[in-house]
Amino acid sequence: GAQRKVKNDYRSAQRITSVCLNCSTVCGIEAFVQDGKVIKIRGNPLDPNMGSYMTCAKGQSGPTINDYPERLLYPLKRVGARGAGLWKRISWDEAYAEVAQRIKTSIDSGHPERVALHQGRSRIDAEINRFLSAIGTPVQLNHRALCSANKRAANYVSLGETDWESIDAERCKYFLNFGSNFYEAHQGGLHLVSRVVKARFDHGAKLVTFDVRLSNTAGRSDEWHQPFPGTDGAVALAMAHVIVRENEIDHDFIDKFVQPGLETIRGWLAPCTPAWAAKLSGIAAQDIERLALEFARKRPAVAAFTNRGAGAHYNGFNAERAVVMLNALVGSIARPGGYCYGLEEKLSASRYPQPQPVPPAPKIRTDLEDPPEWPLANRWQKMKVGQIVYDYLRQGRAKLDVYLSYTIASPMTWPEGRSTTVEVLMDEQLIPFHACSDIVYSEMAHYADLILPDATYLERWGMDIRNNMELTHFVTLRQPLVPPPGEARSFADVLFDIGRRLGPEQAKYFQFGSHEDFVRIQCSKLPATGPDGKQFKDGFEYMKHYGVYVDTSQPKPYEVFQKPLSGKQLDGSRVDAASGVVYRPNDKGKDSAIGLMAGGAAVRGFATPSRKFEVHAPEVTLVAKTRGFDDDGMPTFVQIPSHRKLPADRYILSTFKWNVHTQGRTASQKYLTEIVHDNPMWINVATAKKLGLKSGDMVELTTYRPQSGPADQPSLQAYRGNGEKIGSARMRVFVTRGIHPRVVAVSNSLGWISGGRAAEGRSGRRVEVAAHGIGPEAAKAFGPAPALDDLNAGVWWDKKNGGRGNGVNINALLPINPQPLVGMQSWFDTVCSLRKV
Amino acid sequence: MTTSTSAGPKWGMAIDLERCIGCHACSVACKVENSVSLGHFRTKVYYYDFASINPYNQQPTTKRAFLPTLCMQCEDAPCLDACPNDAIARGSDGIIHIDDSACDRSRDCIKACPYGAIHIDPVAEVADKCDFCSHRLAADMEPACVEVCPADVFAFGDLNDPASPVSRFHAKHRQQVAPLKPEEKTKPLVQYRGLGGVVPRAMAHKVPKGRSHDPFSYEIDTWDQLKSQFPRPKGA
Repeated sequence: GAQRKVKNDYRSAQRITSVCLNCSTVCGIEAFVQDGKVIKIRGNPLDPNMGSYMTCAKGQSGPTINDYPERLLYPLKRVGARGAGLWKRISWDEAYAEVAQRIKTSIDSGHPERVALHQGRSRIDAEINRFLSAIGTPVQLNHRALCSANKRAANYVSLGETDWESIDAERCKYFLNFGSNFYEAHQGGLHLVSRVVKARFDHGAKLVTFDVRLSNTAGRSDEWHQPFPGTDGAVALAMAHVIVRENEIDHDFIDKFVQPGLETIRGWLAPCTPAWAAKLSGIAAQDIERLALEFARKRPAVAAFTNRGAGAHYNGFNAERAVVMLNALVGSIARPGGYCYGLEEKLSASRYPQPQPVPPAPKIRTDLEDPPEWPLANRWQKMKVGQIVYDYLRQGRAKLDVYLSYTIASPMTWPEGRSTTVEVLMDEQLIPFHACSDIVYSEMAHYADLILPDATYLERWGMDIRNNMELTHFVTLRQPLVPPPGEARSFADVLFDIGRRLGPEQAKYFQFGSHEDFVRIQCSKLPATGPDGKQFKDGFEYMKHYGVYVDTSQPKPYEVFQKPLSGKQLDGSRVDAASGVVYRPNDKGKDSAIGLMAGGAAVRGFATPSRKFEVHAPEVTLVAKTRGFDDDGMPTFVQIPSHRKLPADRYILSTFKWNVHTQGRTASQKYLTEIVHDNPMWINVATAKKLGLKSGDMVELTTYRPQSGPADQPSLQAYRGNGEKIGSARMRVFVTRGIHPRVVAVSNSLGWISGGRAAEGRSGRRVEVAAHGIGPEAAKAFGPAPALDDLNAGVWWDKKNGGRGNGVNINALLPINPQPLVGMQSWFDTVCSLRKV
Repeated sequence: MTTSTSAGPKWGMAIDLERCIGCHACSVACKVENSVSLGHFRTKVYYYDFASINPYNQQPTTKRAFLPTLCMQCEDAPCLDACPNDAIARGSDGIIHIDDSACDRSRDCIKACPYGAIHIDPVAEVADKCDFCSHRLAADMEPACVEVCPADVFAFGDLNDPASPVSRFHAKHRQQVAPLKPEEKTKPLVQYRGLGGVVPRAMAHKVPKGRSHDPFSYEIDTWDQLKSQFPRPKGA
């Protein structure tokens, strides 16, 4: 019969601050809790990146995660063959005993490095580090090479800074966007787009986007240009050529702060004409000229920036550097309205102390977390080449006893996820023991030996920090809004509990108590007086109340490169006469560069070895030499080897993300998956006509490994670059003008074969659907059936209801393809062929 | 929220289509706020891909338009006139309400609505639609869609109060504000800026008349089609 709906009662609901984690943008939030249930989430205006109640669609979806009917609430132990989906419920005591015993065996055998932890978006790095360091293993694996490694590496090399840039977007007059879909994805995209909308429609700024595909960003830009894939770097160099040729540059900045000098740059850019870039990219030379000058003439309140469209290629590192260089030429670096960056945006132990004693960092290294083939991956920050982990295990490059996985779904999100990843996860010789912490029966959990039911991000603790568009240091506190249901338990607490069950040498690092106690100590140096004068017992209580602390004691770091070195800094320093670099012995007595002589004054400069903005980065030349090839150290354009002389019947496969999804953790959220659940292949109208295809037709898409260049050119060698076939899949086509004629695109994030009815696109009662799925006994960890469950009948996209289904997992067809030096996955390079079926 | 003291509030909304980024935050906010079942919609954001000319180089290009929709709270409301049970009424604040206890699911309101705004809620088994989140207004909060928007698309407030965001929006953009489907002569309290500009007028054809929103209009291959109803494909 009919049931009355209960309206949220905000006058009685409790308001609690926390931090979103439905993507890595980690927005400060406020939640409303009524009768033990999170009923609503909105932004926390005190978070300087937010400034209002805004969130994205994913943020709004948060409350649906907690009471997802297919949530796992009890620990499970495998009873059948691995991957057979047969389980029994066990107690946490039994689960802890087994994990602890296995880890002890590794430690006792003298091989702590055979314990590995593989994480996705954890945001509990300090906690995980403590656990692994206590064991003595350095093997903390992540997914950064799949995500943003080239972007970070480009900023490190150019600016010497160790985070994302923070474009001063609200004051910017001209945005030159190379391959970022920040209207939908992009780390921090919400913070950027909210300001870009103000800049455009309140202050008249212009947005120009380069993208092979009509993203929401491209479709709403003032201009959208479609370059041939992987040619963004050439377009940026040609723009630089025009800007330098027309003298639309910031002479003073270049003279004082850019390495190498103007004349060297001019000579190096001489062959990079608009005509040259037009031939490579397909963008008209007159458009390149026009856009370059429009951009430069609005200086310094302009920003040229990137994301994966420019970066996730074989040549992406240099492409990103070339774009960042445009800002240096016009002097927009760290200027109001320009390409800015913050300082000290880390959760440093000095500012956020950890419980004592802190275990020492392990001294050993293994090829798994530090693969020597990619020397830039670990040089500035641990970026790691996560996509080669399974292949290296198969090659015997490292051995494992214990594999702990957390917030990753590598069979879905990894290249070769359904082949190489699954084959290795299934192999009990290569991975003798796998414990997976997850909130649903994911494809990762399916291949585990133990499933540890996790708390959601709305049910656990954590400190969080990220780059701030308002250019001040700030920190946020994630706190549980409600306790986890059933026996679900947050992973940090699980690690601490296990730590106490290891030997006394390890257990001594976990005597501080729970994750809450850990976080309380991290907050201990924060003030106890609020911005509104309110008094609290300590910094932890302050954080629980406001959710955010903003350090307003420092000015915004505009033109921080001009900041004079203090007398104290200069005490005992020396100036290198040739370079003007100011050196001073550090605590270990070693000479280190602290600044630069600029215009007769000693200033901070950039945090690079030359203390200048490095267009020329000698370190890149050095590390390239260790790999046996010559690199001029400049962001020179190199065409992607497998794209040269591309046959007419071959296309380039691109992938993309939606505004309502992340790659691995949103498919089970019903309101998001209702909006996007299917991912037909985008194909250009002209190409479709040639192949006799219309929207709704089926094609067989076949992918190939990258093709290396000639053997005598060591700089052109791709991972397993032999061009062999990887695999095929059938998919529906979507014919559109919104894609480059030589590109086809299929979104990621979809095509799950587990994770519950929303993710799988299947209607029906949850237990019956689970019984027919890959994990027939997963339902043993479900909680009580919900009173109302619209997934029973409401999955209108279910194929058996005449719907489109839940799409294909495109990552299964993509090769493991780290680019040279940095190791970032070249997501958008894959060559494919098409056949109408 | 500021309200004028003399007459009581009359709620209104202006939607600035130029600012919309198509993020669906408003629709998901609405679904969570009002526990709207899968396949049914109080609000919905439509997408439209269309051929255009890049004004900077006169070359053909493709643009994307977004159109957020909800109940228009019409001053001349066809649903109110159509209901045989008088279950639909306009409050003094301008909001059109459905009385759960009087609704007998005749669907006359759905057939009368030019904006697809009404559906039969499968849980309560009565007609349901947007009411500007009246329960939130009562708690001095904005509607869920308004509060969450990252691009300040929605200007909401008391039309009787010249200082409210919606009144200020109307004052600033008077010449550019228009209703969706003006030919229906429903005099909506929800008005748009950018129809005929960033959003081609023809996009109104995507919003159903006389039927509820079709969930299939989310499917990507419907984005360039000016239709509101889609045949179900044969099971693949």
